[in-house]
Amino acid sequence: MTSSLDTREERTPTLRTSCGGIEFRNPVLTASGTFGYGQEFDTLLSLPRLGGLVTKGISPKPRFGNPPPRICETAAGMLNSIGLENVGVEAFALEKLPFLRSCGTRVLVNFFGTTFDEYVDCGARLAALDGVDGLEMNVSCPNIKAGGIEFGRDPSVLGDLVRACRAVIRKPFWVKLTPNTSDIVALARACADNGADAVSIINTITAMAIDARTRRPKIGTVFGGLSGPAIKPVALRMVYQVHRARIPIPICGIGGIQDGTDAIEFLLAGASCVQVGTQSFVDPASAERIVREIECYCHAQGVNDVRELIGGLAIGH
Amino acid sequence: MRYFDARVIENRSLGGGYFVLRLGGCEPLAGSRPGQFVMLRGDWGRDPLLPRPLSLLSVAHEGRADLLAKVVGRGTALMERSPPGARVSVLGPLGNSFPVPSANMTDLLVAGGVGLPPLFMQAESAARLGMADGSEMLYGGRTSRDLVLLGEMRSLGIAMHLVTEDGSLGRRGRVTDELEARIERWRAADSDRRLRIMSCGPREMLWAVGRIAQNCDIECYLSLEEQMACGIGVCLGCAVAARTRQYRYVCKEGPVFPAAEVMSHAPAASTSGMEAGAP
Repeated sequence: MTSSLDTREERTPTLRTSCGGIEFRNPVLTASGTFGYGQEFDTLLSLPRLGGLVTKGISPKPRFGNPPPRICETAAGMLNSIGLENVGVEAFALEKLPFLRSCGTRVLVNFFGTTFDEYVDCGARLAALDGVDGLEMNVSCPNIKAGGIEFGRDPSVLGDLVRACRAVIRKPFWVKLTPNTSDIVALARACADNGADAVSIINTITAMAIDARTRRPKIGTVFGGLSGPAIKPVALRMVYQVHRARIPIPICGIGGIQDGTDAIEFLLAGASCVQVGTQSFVDPASAERIVREIECYCHAQGVNDVRELIGGLAIGH
Repeated sequence: MRYFDARVIENRSLGGGYFVLRLGGCEPLAGSRPGQFVMLRGDWGRDPLLPRPLSLLSVAHEGRADLLAKVVGRGTALMERSPPGARVSVLGPLGNSFPVPSANMTDLLVAGGVGLPPLFMQAESAARLGMADGSEMLYGGRTSRDLVLLGEMRSLGIAMHLVTEDGSLGRRGRVTDELEARIERWRAADSDRRLRIMSCGPREMLWAVGRIAQNCDIECYLSLEEQMACGIGVCLGCAVAARTRQYRYVCKEGPVFPAAEVMSHAPAASTSGMEAGAP
């Protein structure tokens, strides 16, 4: 029997969680490339209500990006080939970081390079900056010295890269994995074995779109990265595979999250936190809404601590 | 710039796939300027996913805003079927605007098809400032069905020059033919007003307008359209090749650009021979 007294004593669920050496107010972060440098969203939602944000990917030097057209819409998703355009480490530190230091939420800086040395140099410089809570390494970049194969596709290359960067990064260090692999578990294990603190799963899926009328690819570089709700089932599967393999570092789940239920599904699959990506284009205030929806779910389901949900997928009878 | 919910008050079909969405609850758009746009999305689930950039046609008192659109794909088809009362999310006003009308200028407003809205709003602004005689609308389309809101424009009191490719309304030909004719007449008249061109429409038309302006050494502003996901300079999808920098962004630095800034490159980059970029 439920008395009115019980109702009054009902606790507000705690949404606090931690992932890869960082404590978060709640499990909702915003994904790299879809949230700029944070300031762009300052008037559209309350940044302190988010668990954290991940900046646009930063390279040692500024990059101008790919020729247009750079994006197109696909069924329940979008394709992009921005080309990792960014302001570079120096301008990031001077122009973007002052805002981020006082934005009231956790700040992870996404970074990349086009050579091994660039990765190490970029990671070391960013980790040394005050106001950076952690780094997320994008390994979906062509390795110029290895014929353009992405760093993140080969577990042994990835392992070497993680070890080299780990040696110079004395802050929480996450690796964002590419889904363009036949063995996501091997990639996650290479990260864990070489000192990464967490893995973000997944980056965009390589895809293409064709305009039948003009008979041309819809984006300038022919191939691009698919994101949005279309990729959520793939992302969930990969998060669950890595979780099930008992890789000893936590997972940040990413891929097509549009609402609180989507986020809960990632937690159940084994993610300790999530990132909202393309949905910030669809609804710029969505990350804050998703926090509220997770809280409502916890209330409705009698979950006192959101961490109870992590890996809580019920399999079998 | 604000992100808010609005409602469709009226959805008026103009034929030929054109329609005017009248929205209520758009108080945050008060003070919007000609050329500015909004990102608009209806309550239509996960697909199509992205909001659509639409130029403002008119912004009135009591939170009313009009948008002119043409059915070109799934998003605009859904908008065209939005009944009165339908909820839409709006992000705006976004982007920059055309220069304000000036007493010592004659502005030639060159519109092509669905590129009309920012120029209609510019004409409206000129009329409101009592400078309707300083603007002329050059409005072109494939057929008469592509020329809409003619009565509304007439009531603004600005001179109108209509052009259709099939000759079904106004002069037969292209709007750029009319532009060249107007420039000739202006030269012959030896006016003490300076001539200025503002244009919005299909990309090929814009480049043609820009080239005419360059050849005649006339100040010219082009409002560009490009695929975009966010409207606020985050997705970086709306890059266009530029003269002074490698790329400019239609949403944040445009949509209105001095023609010289965006004219020095081919309209679209070649897609052949490119390697897959890192997304």
